[in-house]
Amino acid sequence: MEPRTDAFSRRQLLAGGASLAALIALQACSTGDETETPKGSAGGGDPWKQFSGTAINFISENTSPSAAIAANLAPFEQLTGIKVKVQQMELDKVVEKCKLDFSSGTAQNHVIYADPYQILAPMADGLADLRPLIDSGNYPAVEKGLGDFIDTQLQATGSFIDDKKIFALPYDAPTMILHYRKDLFAKYGPRAKADLGFDPTPSDSMTWQQYLAVAKWFNENARGDVAYGIGAQAKQHDALQCDFSNVLWSFGGDYFEKGQSLGLRGSEEPGAVTVGSAAGVAAATFYRDLLKVAHPSSTTWDWTGLADAFVAGEIAMCPNWHEFAAGEEKAFPGNVGYALLPKGPARRAHIFGGTGIGINANAKGDELGAAWLFVNWATSPQTQLMSLGSKVGGGTPTRTSVYEMPEVKAEEGKSPSKFPNIRTAETVLKAWQPENIGLRPKVSQWVELDTIIFTELSKMLTRGADPAATMAAMQQQMQKAMQ
Amino acid sequence: MSAGLDAAPRTALRARAVPPPRAGRVKRRVRPPRGLKTFEFAMMAPALTVLFVLSWVPFVVLVAMSFAKVRTLGGVSLTFTGADNWSAVLGDGSIWASWARSLVYFVAIVGLEMALGLAVALVLHQLVRARSVVLSVVLLPMFLAPVLVGLLGRFMLDSTIGLYAKILQAVGLGDDLLASPSTALPTIVSIDVWQWTPLVALILLAGLTAVPPSTLEAATVDGAGYFRTLVAIILPQMKPIILVALLVRSMDAIRYFDIVVATTNGGPADATKIIPIKLYEFAFRFNNQLGKAAVLGLTMLVFSIVMARIFLRFFGDRPSVPAGDGGDRG
Amino acid sequence: MTTAGTPATRSTSRLLVPVLAVVIAVWAALPLLWMLLTAFKPETAIRTSHPTVSFAPTLDNFRNLFLGGNRVGAYLMNSLIVTGVSTVVAVTLGCLAGYGLAHWVSRYKRDVAFWVLSTRMAPIAAVLVPLFVMFRSAGLVNTIPGLVLAHLSFNLPFAIWLMSAFFARIPESVEEAALLDGCTKWRRFRTVSLPMARAGIVTTTVLCMVFSWNDYAFSSALSGPDTATLPQAAGALVTQSGIDWGLLSALAVVVAVPMLLAGLAVRRHLVSGLSLGAVTGE
Repeated sequence: MEPRTDAFSRRQLLAGGASLAALIALQACSTGDETETPKGSAGGGDPWKQFSGTAINFISENTSPSAAIAANLAPFEQLTGIKVKVQQMELDKVVEKCKLDFSSGTAQNHVIYADPYQILAPMADGLADLRPLIDSGNYPAVEKGLGDFIDTQLQATGSFIDDKKIFALPYDAPTMILHYRKDLFAKYGPRAKADLGFDPTPSDSMTWQQYLAVAKWFNENARGDVAYGIGAQAKQHDALQCDFSNVLWSFGGDYFEKGQSLGLRGSEEPGAVTVGSAAGVAAATFYRDLLKVAHPSSTTWDWTGLADAFVAGEIAMCPNWHEFAAGEEKAFPGNVGYALLPKGPARRAHIFGGTGIGINANAKGDELGAAWLFVNWATSPQTQLMSLGSKVGGGTPTRTSVYEMPEVKAEEGKSPSKFPNIRTAETVLKAWQPENIGLRPKVSQWVELDTIIFTELSKMLTRGADPAATMAAMQQQMQKAMQ
Repeated sequence: MSAGLDAAPRTALRARAVPPPRAGRVKRRVRPPRGLKTFEFAMMAPALTVLFVLSWVPFVVLVAMSFAKVRTLGGVSLTFTGADNWSAVLGDGSIWASWARSLVYFVAIVGLEMALGLAVALVLHQLVRARSVVLSVVLLPMFLAPVLVGLLGRFMLDSTIGLYAKILQAVGLGDDLLASPSTALPTIVSIDVWQWTPLVALILLAGLTAVPPSTLEAATVDGAGYFRTLVAIILPQMKPIILVALLVRSMDAIRYFDIVVATTNGGPADATKIIPIKLYEFAFRFNNQLGKAAVLGLTMLVFSIVMARIFLRFFGDRPSVPAGDGGDRG
Repeated sequence: MTTAGTPATRSTSRLLVPVLAVVIAVWAALPLLWMLLTAFKPETAIRTSHPTVSFAPTLDNFRNLFLGGNRVGAYLMNSLIVTGVSTVVAVTLGCLAGYGLAHWVSRYKRDVAFWVLSTRMAPIAAVLVPLFVMFRSAGLVNTIPGLVLAHLSFNLPFAIWLMSAFFARIPESVEEAALLDGCTKWRRFRTVSLPMARAGIVTTTVLCMVFSWNDYAFSSALSGPDTATLPQAAGALVTQSGIDWGLLSALAVVVAVPMLLAGLAVRRHLVSGLSLGAVTGE
């Protein structure tokens, strides 16, 4: 009896090993370099209808524009006859599912929300080059051409290293600006001005030192109306790196030698790690001082936590993504103001968090064609306008022409507004100027670097580590990760 | 001792093939059928086949990945790199720190859940009429997915709008529990304890109801106090079921991390960065580090197995080789 | 029904037990009650620094949960099907295999038992990649059978092992009496062992349901747009533009209610199953 048992398990073991080898061998055939441009057979000559009957999947982070599109897919289905299923989830899960999907060598999800740092840079080879599709005569042209996309955004969200290839078209454009409660500044402004000697209301001339002073003043003088002057997104999370990066850049520091130039197309050779420089230490020291006067729960907040606190009336002002404007407008109609972030010794910097949508390189045939029609439609001016006014959404246009539409212009600064996010347009358009925008280095190791950055910062803020030591530790670990 | 104790509890893991011979009973069994061509093995075959398929391939791939650089784009491909992943993981101080943290976390949640679970089971066992209703209510927390429980914890403890946070503030404990490295881990432990104590209680309650009343009566006649009865008689009888509860919780305590992700994401200052979060980072967040994830996964597996062995030694039956069962390796 | 202790402890426990039971119930239920209230609150009553119990109740959260961009109704169906099927399969196979394991005579018995247990220790994030590739090549990704199979990977070892513990507790004397009466082994299993293991079956079923209902890691990796389950809805509600606590609370209610109903529906079996053990232990 016993020998039989052994034989049984050994045979199974061999079978298991063989099937595994077969699996891996199957996966070895990789995709070609040039994206194909399949022509559909349906629709009788209407290029929008040629893939009628095809079903595709779109995987996205649960952002406002995707919520808007998911709730309003009927126009696309009428236009093309293509059935789109939208799946929305947290970004971490999107990354996980993309990695799994790419590893299978087939396309479960066809259209992909390609975060430039977490998906595009580390997994560019998994995304199809859209250029042949854009140039092909087989499909409807991109309306108003690529030139209608705000150029920095097209580069930052669409390209990686090779500027001939486009992996994604700009889809959303969250950018950090200063949000403040107009009502509180109207009430306390004059007194604070008398005490501080400058106008405390956030404006395009405010400095970080003034911001800190106003925060302290609110803590001491305005407790009746608001618990703290400022809050921050300082949870051990991507948000902490974003919040800190604004300060770092404005103090003249950067993560790599090649600095901001890495933010557009990205690079495999970003140069030396420079985060431990004198400017970096000065920025860290200031950021720590800022957190000492900020709402004490700041170290538990990511961007949503901070936005919740702002909406609950816990703080008077904070830097946050401009797309939170819609929710803030609901809580304090007409009483939320927006300004550029405070200025540092070197410049002012507004971190850009935009993302594009791209296509899985494993998508083939009709599914590839249908995916391209969807990408084309989802980033078109009409769809962006629809998203602006959506009840569930409130995205931000990534096209110049949308900001120039008369119905959009009419809503700027209005309250109540049909397009609440457009209330921030004036500030955001300034923040996107090359001298004001803040871009993270687009390198394939970014997520690991990001983790090092926010973990060390969290130690500094909650365990009282010294800023110089913090930046030195960050520098050393980042160097190791880049090897 | 009463007759009940003779039916010594056995787990499958430590099961003796046959009970000790009892006086006054005729034994028919001389040589029980053994091995694969038996009724018993046929009963096991379908389940074992399914399990085999589901576990063998992933395990082999895991081992292979741990010795390779893994690329996933356009299909999985492995480039073997020897023991590089192993030396990188074993030489990483932050991983050892994470293990130390995980150990504290592990001992705290398993210990607390076992103790509280036993207490809850004992109370429920004493309830007669209200038991089913109270049981239904008590079981509810474990039916909320851990990710929801984590979010619920965040909601209850939110310093701006949370009910528990406000209650704590009212009694003078105003600090945000998830904001400080010293309180974050205990807070997450208590959220986990809230969710999973009901599970331990349910398992132990099932075990408790199976303790023969005659045993209890015998103890009562002896005049033993409640706790003495509990420790000396009831708990030893429940050993197999205690083992079940211990193993279930310890396997999951080391694997699951949804609550941490939904609350602190490993922070502040890495205070809640337990091993499965590190593993997830390597597997899905960082680029091309699945090999290290595989190493961490295998070390987690080893940890679970060692834990299980330890628990089996303490709570399983003593290894014994009863007469007529010489084939048992004991 | 049995109660332990001397007459003296019995009288203290008469007071103590109900008090403790209330404390336990409140501890378990308070956050859930709060969520139940929150689910019916308008947003203004949630986002306030003064938690309140007086508000104008609204069904908006539930409406938003099932309509609009959130398709929680479909998620709920998927969850019910996957949980139901995987639990039934796991418990059925688990009873067979658990019984077999408890009575199997072999020098490999312990190794097999431990191997079964160890398959439940798989480090989740690390095995997802091989599992996904395997499932994808078998066409199982984004299908209900695929999810059922994935849930079996953790529920089957659990059911086998829990049931074998329960079967092993059935006194040998009872089983042998049945054999002496001339029963076949299968009949002995069906008519003697299975009914006696009712407490175990009830417990195993409840626990398999818990693990299947709650699973997030396997489901989110192996499901697609057609097969997403309820826990994924929770993840999806944490949007970039803030957590909608009202929606999330409504979701928690939707998640908890089927399980509460199931618990109450089988509560007679739950209790009799659990107390039956006391009788069979004799």
